[in-house]
Amino acid sequence: MADSGPPIWQVMQSKGYSRREFMHFCSFAAAAAGIHASGLLSVVHAFEKKPRPPVIWLHFQECTCCSESFIRSSHPIVADVLLDTLSLDYTETLQAAAGHQAEKCLQDTIKNYPGQYILLVEGSVPTKDGGVYCMIGGRTAEDILQEAAKSAASVIAWGSCASNGCIQSASPNPTSATPIHKLLSRTVINVPGCPPIADVMTGVVTHLLVFGRAPELDSQGRPREFYSRRVHDTCYRRPYYDAGLFVESWDDESARKGYCLYKMGCRGPVTYNACGVTKWNNGVSYPIQSGHGCIGCSENGFWDNGPFYQHLASFPGFGIESTADTIGTALGLTALGGVALHAITTNIRKRKVIQELKDDSLSPEKTAEGGDN
Amino acid sequence: MARVVVDPITRIEGHLRIEAVIENGKITDAFSSGTMVRGFEKILKGRDPRDAWAFTERACGVCTTVHALASVRTVEDALKVSVPKNAELIRNLMFCTQMVQDHVVHFYHLHALDWVDIVSALSAKPEETSKIAQTISSWPRSSPAYFSDLQKRLKGFVDTGQLGIFANGYWGHAAYKLPPEVNLLAVAHYLEALEWQKEIVKIHAIFGGKNPHPNYLVGGVPCSINIDEVNAINTERLNQVGQLIRDAITFVEQVYIPDLMAIAGFYKDWAAIGGGLQNYLCYGDLPTRGYNEPDSFKFQRGAILNRNLNEVFEVNGRDNEEIKEYIAHSWYSYAGGDQKGLHPWAGETEFNFTGPKPPFEQLNVEGKYSWVKTPRWKDHPMEVGPLARMLVAFAKGNTEVKDVVTEALQKLNVPITALFSTLGRTAARGLETRLVVHWMKGFYDELLDNIKAGDVRTFTREKWDPSTWPDVCEGVGLSEAPRGALAHWIRIKDKKIDNYQLVVPSTWNASPRDANGQRSAYEESLIGTPVANPEQPVEILRTIHSFDPCLACAVH
Amino acid sequence: MASAQPIPYQRVYVWEFPVRLYHWVNAVCVVALGVTGYLIGNPLAISYSSEAYQQYWFGWVRFIHFVTAFVFFFNFLVRIYWGFVGNDFARWTNFIPFKRAQYREMVEVLKVDVLQTKIRGLISLGHNALAGLIYFLSFLVFLFQAITGFALYSSMSDSFFPRLFAWIVPLMGGDNPVRQWHHVFMWFFVVFVIVHVYLVFYHDYVEGRGTTSSMVGGYKFEREDEYKS
Ligand code: HEM
Ligand code: HEM
Ligand code: NFV
Ligand code: SF4
Ligand code: SF4
Ligand code: F3S
Ligand SMILES: [Mg+2]
Repeated sequence: MADSGPPIWQVMQSKGYSRREFMHFCSFAAAAAGIHASGLLSVVHAFEKKPRPPVIWLHFQECTCCSESFIRSSHPIVADVLLDTLSLDYTETLQAAAGHQAEKCLQDTIKNYPGQYILLVEGSVPTKDGGVYCMIGGRTAEDILQEAAKSAASVIAWGSCASNGCIQSASPNPTSATPIHKLLSRTVINVPGCPPIADVMTGVVTHLLVFGRAPELDSQGRPREFYSRRVHDTCYRRPYYDAGLFVESWDDESARKGYCLYKMGCRGPVTYNACGVTKWNNGVSYPIQSGHGCIGCSENGFWDNGPFYQHLASFPGFGIESTADTIGTALGLTALGGVALHAITTNIRKRKVIQELKDDSLSPEKTAEGGDN
Repeated sequence: MARVVVDPITRIEGHLRIEAVIENGKITDAFSSGTMVRGFEKILKGRDPRDAWAFTERACGVCTTVHALASVRTVEDALKVSVPKNAELIRNLMFCTQMVQDHVVHFYHLHALDWVDIVSALSAKPEETSKIAQTISSWPRSSPAYFSDLQKRLKGFVDTGQLGIFANGYWGHAAYKLPPEVNLLAVAHYLEALEWQKEIVKIHAIFGGKNPHPNYLVGGVPCSINIDEVNAINTERLNQVGQLIRDAITFVEQVYIPDLMAIAGFYKDWAAIGGGLQNYLCYGDLPTRGYNEPDSFKFQRGAILNRNLNEVFEVNGRDNEEIKEYIAHSWYSYAGGDQKGLHPWAGETEFNFTGPKPPFEQLNVEGKYSWVKTPRWKDHPMEVGPLARMLVAFAKGNTEVKDVVTEALQKLNVPITALFSTLGRTAARGLETRLVVHWMKGFYDELLDNIKAGDVRTFTREKWDPSTWPDVCEGVGLSEAPRGALAHWIRIKDKKIDNYQLVVPSTWNASPRDANGQRSAYEESLIGTPVANPEQPVEILRTIHSFDPCLACAVH
Repeated sequence: MASAQPIPYQRVYVWEFPVRLYHWVNAVCVVALGVTGYLIGNPLAISYSSEAYQQYWFGWVRFIHFVTAFVFFFNFLVRIYWGFVGNDFARWTNFIPFKRAQYREMVEVLKVDVLQTKIRGLISLGHNALAGLIYFLSFLVFLFQAITGFALYSSMSDSFFPRLFAWIVPLMGGDNPVRQWHHVFMWFFVVFVIVHVYLVFYHDYVEGRGTTSSMVGGYKFEREDEYKS
C-alpha cells in the first residue's frame, strides 16, 4: 500500500484531532487487535504512515447479517472505522450511490488501487446454471468476484456464507452455493460464524492494517487469534460439564442454575469460535450464557449436523429421531439375539456333534476329506 | 422501450433491480426484480420442525429474529401449544427491540441520504445547526462546538478525496431541499444513530445470546429466569434491559422523531408522490393474551381495500382462498401450471430460470423476471408495512395510534390522505417506532411484575417430545416484521417438515406482477413519480427506500 | 473302524506371550473405551451435589477414556510390529486372504458357523481364514477409532502426538463429523465383542482344540496326524 492517500494521522490532524486523541485511537485499535501496551508504538507508527486503505465489500448469497454484525462493533466503533480507518468504497448496504454510479465506485477502486485494496466478501457464490441464482447489475456473482479478487491485496471471507457456504449450501444445496476459497486460487482469510462476532470482524481487519500482514491462519484459513479454541474450552459452564451436571430439559431446575447444555445438543465441544471469551455485543453475553446451546454456527456444514437439540446427529435416511445410538442398539440386540439363537440350535445338535467329534478322534482312517454323515 | 435500470439498488438489504420507463419526466411503467435466491423452502424439507427457526432466521440478518418468531409460532400452532406468559413477554421485548433498531437504522443509514445532502453540510453554520437542534429537541449533544467539531471532521474526511461510502452520491441534485444546517444536524445523528443502534440490540444478547441472530425455542424462550442465581436472567440482566429501554425511549423521542418531523417539513411535496396501491394488509402482532387471541394484539389484524378507512376486513391465514402466491412472472414453475395461485400450505418451490443469460442489459419483462413470488390476498395486490399497520389500527379506532398519527399530521399541517405516499410510509415508520418503544416499557414492567408474583416459567415441555406429535399437522405463524406482514406455513408429517413456505413482507411489496397483470407495491408506487434526471434517479430511490426493501427476505 | 484307538493330540504353542498380552490389554481397553465413550456421548444424570466443585465424575470418565486411548493405541502398535516378527500364527499373512485355500477355508467356516454343518477337513490352527479377515478389518477400525479419537483430542491438547492427527479434522469436514463417526464405530465394537466371544466358545466346542484357553495359555491342541511341523 504505497501512497493511496494521506496517512491516518494526517487525516486525523486535518480533522482537528489532537495528538492525544490520535494516541487514544491507536490504543483502542491496539486493544482490539490484542496488542500489549508495549507494542503500542508500532501501532501508532502504523497509523501515522498508512493512508486509509481502500476496501471493497461484495454481497452475494447472504442475509446481510455479517454487515449488520460489523456495524455492531464496539471497539473500535464503526463510525470511526468508516471515517478514519478505512475507505469503504463499495458496499451495497451502506453506500450512497446506486445503480451505475455504485458500479463505478467498484470499477474505480479496482482500477485505481490495484494490489492495494482489501476485498471483503459476504455471501456465497452459486455456481449452478451459469450463476443465475445471484446476479448484480446483470452480472453473475462469480464474474464480479473473480474480477475484484484478481488485484486485491487481501481477501477476507465474512461469515459462514463466504467461508463455508452456510445455510444455502445445506442439503440439497439447490443453487450449488460455494464458499469463495473454493473459487479463488489465492489465500482467503475465512472469518466464519453466522454471523461472526462484530469485534472479531473489526479485529481481523485491524490486524491486517496495524501489523501490515494477515493474521496467522489455521489449516482451514481461519485466524488463529479468534478460532483456535473450541467454545467448549472457554465456556464458563465447563465446570458443570466436568462435574457431570447437565440441563436435562429446557427451563428445568438445572437450567435455572445454569448447568451445562451438552445434553440439550450444545455444539460447543465441536465448534471453534471466540464466543466464550470475546462474547457478543460488547461482551454482554453469548448463546450459552443466555441458556441456548451453541448450534455450531462457525463450523463447516453445521446446518447438516443436526437436529440441533440432540447431541448426536440423526442418521441420514432413518428419520429425525434415529441417531447412531438407536441404530447401534438395534444392531447390538440383533447380534445378541442371533448369538442366542445360534447357541440354541447348537445345543439341539449337541449330542450328534459330540458323537461325531468323538468318532473323528478315534478313527485312524479318517482323512482330511472325510466326514459325511 | 428503453428503460432506466437501477441495479444494484443500494442501501437496502439484498439484491434488487428496478427497471423504469420514463416518459416526459415521469415514470409510466416499472419492473421490480429480485436477483438472488437461496432456496430455503427446499432446504427446510425433511428437517426437524423444532430447528426451523434457526434456518428461517437466516433469511435475513437485518430483520433478524422476526423469522425465528414466525417460525416458532408456526410450529407451536401446528402442535397446538401456547407458551408461558414470560415467554410471550420476552418475545415481545425482542420483537420491539428489533423493530426499533431496524427502523432507526433504516431512517438514518438506509433512507436519509435520499433526503440529506452530506456535502451541503460542509457549508452549514454550526451555531445555526445548534439553534435548530435545541428548538426541536432537548437532546443534549447540541452545542455549537459539537457541530463545529463534527463539521471539521467531515471536512477533513472530504479533503482526503477518499469519500468511501459517500462517493458518487447525487450530491448537489436539485431534489435535495434541506438547508445546510439541517443537513449537518442529520449527519451528526447519522453517526450517533450508528453508535446507538448497537446498544439496544444488547437486549437480544441478554435473552437470546447474541445479535444478529439470537436464539429462539419452540415452546418458549431458551433463557431461564432465576433471581437467586448469577447464571440466569437475574436482577442485573433485567436492570440492563430496563436501562436500554429507557435509553431507547430517549433516543427515539429526542433524536429520531424530531429529525423525522424536521426533514419531512421540507419535503411535503412527497406527500403526494409514491402512493401506489390502495390496499393495505396487516396480520397484527405483539400478543398480550396469547397468539390465538388477535384481539389482544397491540398491532391489530385486518385488511383495507381502496383506501377506505371505514371498513376493515378480517384476514384468515388458514383460508385456502385468501392468501395465494403466483409465479406467472417469477422464475419458478408449478406442477399445476404457472398461471395458478397456491395457498402456502400447498405451496411449491421449483426453480425455473427463463431470464436472459448474464451478463445482460435488460430483463425480459414480458415473461418471468424475478426470483420473488407474487402473493395476493383474495387476489388483490396489497401493500404491507408500517403504513399498513398504522392505517389498519387507525381504521379500527385504536386510540394510541390515532393520537400519534393525528399529532404528526397536525404538526406537518397535512391531511390524512398525505399518508398514502412515499412520505407517509416514512413517517408511519417513525410513528410506530414511537409507540413500540413505549410499549416495550410496558412489557418490561409486566415481566417484572410476573416474576415478582413468583412466575418464572419460560418454557412449556408439553409438546417438546416428537413422540407426542400427531402424524400430520399444519400450522401458520402470522406476525408483523418491520417491513410488514410476515407469515410462515408448515406441514409436519412423520415428525418432519413436509412443506414449509414463507410469505414475507418484501415478497408482497417487491413482487412482479401477478397472472392478471396487476402490479405489486413497488412497481405501482413508482408510476407517476417525476424523475428530473434519469441519469441520477434519486426519486426512484426515495420511493423504493420508503418501503425499506429486503430482498433476501423477499425471495429466501 | 474296528480299532477305535484315540488319535494322539499334540500341544502346539500358537499364541506367543506378546500376542496374549496384546489381546487382553486390548480387550480391557476396548471395553473401557466403549463404556466411557458411550457415557461421553450420553452422560448419565448423576447430580447428587449442586456444586460443581464437589464432583468431577464426567471429567473422570473422559480422563479414563483418554488414558485408555493411549494404552489402546500403543498396544495396537506392538501388535502390528509382532505381525512382522512373531511366529507363523501371528503373521500378517494370516489376516489377509492371499491364497485360494484361504477363500476355500472361509466358505468352509461360514458353513460351519452359519449352517452348522459338520466340520469337513481342516481349519487352520491359528486364526481361521474368516476370523483372520475379520480381525484385519477390525484392525482397520481400531486404526480409524484411534485416528479420529486423536484428531478430536488434538484440539484439547498441545502435546505433539495428538497434534499429528489434527489434519484429519478439516479432511472430514470439521469436529462434528469426526465425532459423529467416532461415535458410530463404537457400535462396531459392541457387535464385534458379542459375536467374537461367542464364536470363540462355539469354535472351541466344534473344533475341540482348546480355543478358549489358548488365548490364556497360548496352546492349542491338534491331532498329531494333521499337525506336522
Ligand atoms: C475402541 C475404541 C474407542 C471407542 C469405542 C470410542 C468411543 C467413543 C465414543 C462413543 C465417544 C463419544 C462420542 C460422542 O458421542 O460425542 C468418544 C469420544 C471421544 N473419544 Fe473415543 N473411542 C475409542 C477410542 C478412542 C481413542 C483411541 C481416542 C484417542 C485419543 C479417543 C478419543 C476420544 C475423544 C477425544 C472423544 C471426545 C471426548 C470429548 O470431547 O470429551 N477415543 N469415544
Ligand atoms: C473385548 C473383548 C475382546 C476383544 C476386543 C478381542 C479381540 C480379539 C482380537 C483382535 C483377536 C485377534 C488377535 C490377534 O491375532 O492379535 C482376538 C483373538 C482371540 N480372542 Fe479375543 N477379544 C476379546 C475378548 C475375548 C474373550 C473374552 C476371549 C475368550 C474367552 C477371547 C479369545 C480369543 C481367542 C481364543 C482368539 C484367537 C482366535 C482365533 O483362534 O482365531 N477374546 N480377540
Ligand atoms: N421483508 C422482510 Fe424482513 C423484515 N422486516 C421479514 O420478514 O427484512 Ni430482512
Ligand atoms: S454467514 Fe450467516 S450471518 Fe453472515 S450473511 Fe450468511 S447467513 Fe447471514
Ligand atoms: S454448555 Fe456447551 S460449551 Fe459449555 S461446557 Fe457445556 S457442552 Fe461445553
Ligand atoms: S452458535 Fe455460534 S455464536 Fe458462538 S456459541 Fe456457537 S459459535
Ligand atoms: Mg416463499
